[in-house]
Amino acid sequence: MRTLSLMLVLSLALPAQAFDFGNLDLDKVVKTVQKVKKANEDVSEPQEIELGSGIASNLLGAAPLLDNAEVQRYVNRVGRWIALQTERPDLPWQFGVLDDADINAFAAPGGYVFITKGLLARMNNEAELAGVLAHEISHVLRKHHLQALKQGARTELFAEFANEAMQANGSDPRLSKLVSAGTELYARGLDKDDEFESDRMGVVLAARAGYDPYGLPAVLQTLQSINPNDSNLALMFKTHPAFDKRLALLAEEMSPALDAYERQPDLDKRFAAAMGAK
Amino acid sequence: MKRLFAACLLCGLIANSAAEEAMTLRSTELKAKPYGDAQTLLMLPERSKVEVLQRRASWTQVQSGKTTGWVKMLSLQLVRGTTQRRADNGLRSLFNVAQTGRGGSTVTTGVRGLSEEDLKNTRPNPQALADAKTYAASRAEAERFAAQGKLQAQHVDYLPGGAQ
Repeated sequence: MRTLSLMLVLSLALPAQAFDFGNLDLDKVVKTVQKVKKANEDVSEPQEIELGSGIASNLLGAAPLLDNAEVQRYVNRVGRWIALQTERPDLPWQFGVLDDADINAFAAPGGYVFITKGLLARMNNEAELAGVLAHEISHVLRKHHLQALKQGARTELFAEFANEAMQANGSDPRLSKLVSAGTELYARGLDKDDEFESDRMGVVLAARAGYDPYGLPAVLQTLQSINPNDSNLALMFKTHPAFDKRLALLAEEMSPALDAYERQPDLDKRFAAAMGAK
Repeated sequence: MKRLFAACLLCGLIANSAAEEAMTLRSTELKAKPYGDAQTLLMLPERSKVEVLQRRASWTQVQSGKTTGWVKMLSLQLVRGTTQRRADNGLRSLFNVAQTGRGGSTVTTGVRGLSEEDLKNTRPNPQALADAKTYAASRAEAERFAAQGKLQAQHVDYLPGGAQ
C-alpha cells in the first residue's frame, strides 16, 4: 500500500510522464484516483439543476402536465411555501401535476417535484398534499438521487460530471447518459433508508410550514387501504418500502415530538376549492 | 359507455354510504375526546374492528359497538376496500376514478398510468418543462398564500435519525 502511495505521489509529481510498471498503467490509476476523489465532492448547484432539469424533461416526456392552470398554481404555492422553511429556500423550486392515473410522486435534483393526478385525487386536504410534497422536497434537500447516481453504476460518469462543466441541452452524450440513469431511478427506486429519511423530514417540514403534520401518514394510510393489485400502485410498490413499515416508523418518531403541532390547520376547504369540487 | 359510467357512479355511492372499517394494530385507549389526557372510555384490544367516522390530526373518531370515541390514528389500519368515505375531492370525478363497493377491488376506469417501460423509453419534453415553469410561485406569492390560509411558520427540529 505504501509503495503504491509512493508511486502515486511520484506520478503526481511528474504528471507529464506516463509510468508503466509492467501491466500496471500508473497514469491510468492516478486518473481514476483523481476522479474518485472528485466524485466525493459535491457537484455544483448549477450542475445539480442542469441534471435535474434534464430528468424532469424526461419525466414530462413519459407523462404530460395536467392541463389545469388553477391546480398547477395551487400546488406550486403549497410546495414553494414549504420549501421556504428548508435549508435550501432559494433553489428554483418547480412543482407540477402530471396528467396520469398512476399513484406516485417524483423529485429531481435541483428542486423539481411532480405529483400524479392519481395521487392528488386520493387526498382530502392541503395538509396531506403538503406532507407528500415535503417528502419529495426532502429527497432534493438530501440529494438522494445524486447519491444514488454517485454510488451506482454511473460512478465514473458522475465523477466526470463533477469534474468539468458539460455542455447543456443534451448535446453532451455524457450528460444525456447521466440524465437517463437519473430517469431510470424512478423505475428502480431509491434506497429504503432514503425513503424513511424523507418521511421523517417531510412531517417536520409540514409542521414548520404551519400544517397538521399528520397529512403524510394519512395519505400513506389511504394508499395502504387500496387494493394492492391496482395496477396504478405497481410502480409505487416496486420503488418504495411497504406502507405498514413506513407508518410504523412514523408512529414511533412523530409522537410525542410533533404532538404540539397537531392542532395546526389542514385547510380542507381551500384544498377542495382548488380541486374544483362544488 | 354512458351506462357503464352511471353504474360506476352508483357503485361509488354505495361505497360511500357503507362505513369505512379499520382494525386496531395494538391495544388502544378509546378516548372521549381527541386529546391524550381526555377520559378513557374503554380499552380496545389488538385487532378490534371499528367503524371510522372522521380524522382530526393524529386522532381518528371511531365507533366500537355502541361507543363512539377517539383513538390515535396510527394505532389503526384501514380495512381494504372499505375506504372512500371522504368525499369526492373534485379531481376524482374529473379523472373518472371510481371505486367498486365492498368487494374490495379498486378500479380505475380509463387508461393505465405511467409504467416502468414508459420511463425507460421516454424522450425529453422541454416544451412541457417550459410550460411547467410558467406556474412556479415566487417567494412573495408563497408567503401571501400562506397568510391567506393563516399558516404560521414554526421552528421545528428534524427528528432524531434524520438530517442534523
